[in-house]
Amino acid sequence: MKSVTNVIEVSNLTKRFGRLVAVDNVSFAVREGEIFGLLGENGAGKTTTLEILEGFQKPDRGTAQVLGANPHSAHRDWRDQIGLVLQESDFDPVHTVTETVRLFAGFFSHPRGVAETLELVGLADKANERVGRLSGGQKRRVDVALGIIGNPRLLFLDEPTTGFDPVARVDFWSVIEGLSASGTSIVLTTHYMEEAERLCDRLAIMARGQIVAEGTSSTLISEMGATTVRFEMPPGLDPSALCALTRANFVVRDNMATALLGSDLQGVLLRLITWAASHDVTLHRLEVLRPSLNDVFLGATGGER
Amino acid sequence: MRYLRLTGAQALYNLRAYVRSARTVLLGLIMPVGLLVILSWVFAHQGAIVAAAGYPISAIAFYAGGLTAYGLMLGTFTGVMVAVVSAREAGWLKRFRASPMPPGAYLAGQIVFNVIVSIALVVVMVATATVVYGLRPRPVPLVAVGCYTLLGVFCFTAIALAITRIVTTAEMASSAGPFATITLSFTSGVFLPPNLLPHWLVTTSNYLPLEPLAQSMQSALATHAATGFQGRPFLVLGVWGVIAFVAARWTFTWQPLRK
Repeated sequence: MKSVTNVIEVSNLTKRFGRLVAVDNVSFAVREGEIFGLLGENGAGKTTTLEILEGFQKPDRGTAQVLGANPHSAHRDWRDQIGLVLQESDFDPVHTVTETVRLFAGFFSHPRGVAETLELVGLADKANERVGRLSGGQKRRVDVALGIIGNPRLLFLDEPTTGFDPVARVDFWSVIEGLSASGTSIVLTTHYMEEAERLCDRLAIMARGQIVAEGTSSTLISEMGATTVRFEMPPGLDPSALCALTRANFVVRDNMATALLGSDLQGVLLRLITWAASHDVTLHRLEVLRPSLNDVFLGATGGER
Repeated sequence: MRYLRLTGAQALYNLRAYVRSARTVLLGLIMPVGLLVILSWVFAHQGAIVAAAGYPISAIAFYAGGLTAYGLMLGTFTGVMVAVVSAREAGWLKRFRASPMPPGAYLAGQIVFNVIVSIALVVVMVATATVVYGLRPRPVPLVAVGCYTLLGVFCFTAIALAITRIVTTAEMASSAGPFATITLSFTSGVFLPPNLLPHWLVTTSNYLPLEPLAQSMQSALATHAATGFQGRPFLVLGVWGVIAFVAARWTFTWQPLRK
């Protein structure tokens, strides 16, 4: 049996900037080979957490072990195994894509080939184009190329697909999946739920500096997500009567009745359908919606969207 | 070996950007030569100019030496400041810091690049003065000019690094550099002979880095220069350079400065 090692172990991490507690007593672990997602709204503490793991910030309290070392005092050999894609960066426009990536390749002891890397991020046909002439999405791929050129064991991606069009985003996801399949451990932050659901083996949701939920997206959905039931209010039924007969908390707005249901879903539906059948009422536009990660996210962060 | 290779790669990267950008070539190389041509033409009838060394030297030696020092400061001081500030604000320094590249290789790459550009400037300036205006430089003083060039690059690189903490944008850097250089050039006997300036201004300039560099280059290019070597520029520029490097060591930041 293959033993599972953790590439990252974080316990009770706290970081303050003045009176703001950016990261508040956060603990989690990332296993070798997995894609771990940090979700949260802007200002939730994701980037600060990443910066501590990358060695840029020193925590006020708690410990972070990344590839077995304290990132803040780690040696050059440690950096040889880390790749990062920052939230924003810019390039000197006069260099070509190949020249830019080659400069970084020289820093690492076992870099990937430049051509192979450009192939991997989908920039092979732009290899000799000056960086200044690339589109926003193509520049972001250069960013990713710089992140993976060193053949990292652990890759940090800070909101990698912000500003991508939908096609570019789906292409990018397959790049990340390819890297993961080749054994790279990946930590990514995002505020796109479908991205987290598609890519992440496990994820943690952050709000106000704390981790408010953690697990695989399917466990989070089944534990925290609520199924939505809605239909058009039939004439002659008032909201309080509806709630009484179904024993569920329906809200009526614009003539649509909506309820969020957990384990009692089957009972509520049974009472509702039985009532409709016995009163010869048709429930127009009846829908049962499976919970999404977005619902979990909104429930966990207390946000509105 | 690895250190040398990385330094070379950084220097090459900078050189490529330099030759591909019309602005840097214009500012660093063509403008000093253009000023040499114009000022030598305007002041040719003056014959000898009293330089700070205390003895009169020819107008061409005065302008060739002074404008080389001016071009060196403009190129190195502005260049390092713009390069470092824009690399920092673009997140490049942060990436460098997170990579296994030794930070010293980045710095060494900047210095090597500026030495190459400054030597090119010296060669073009001295060649123009020699071929067009009949300057007769002698070999040993030319070696002295080479040493002053290295000294100047060291000093202005250090000062540029030390103030990157205050200069927060590349835009600010690209105007602060020429502003400081042109202002100092007026007080340091580059554009105007120092005997036209008030005494206190000349004395003050003697302790700032441009004047000793300009004056020593002017003297070394004059026909009666002995060896061209002087102690004062090494002392003044050396002290400025060392203090600035120590300050830079303390205040330097790899992270973008957030407003």
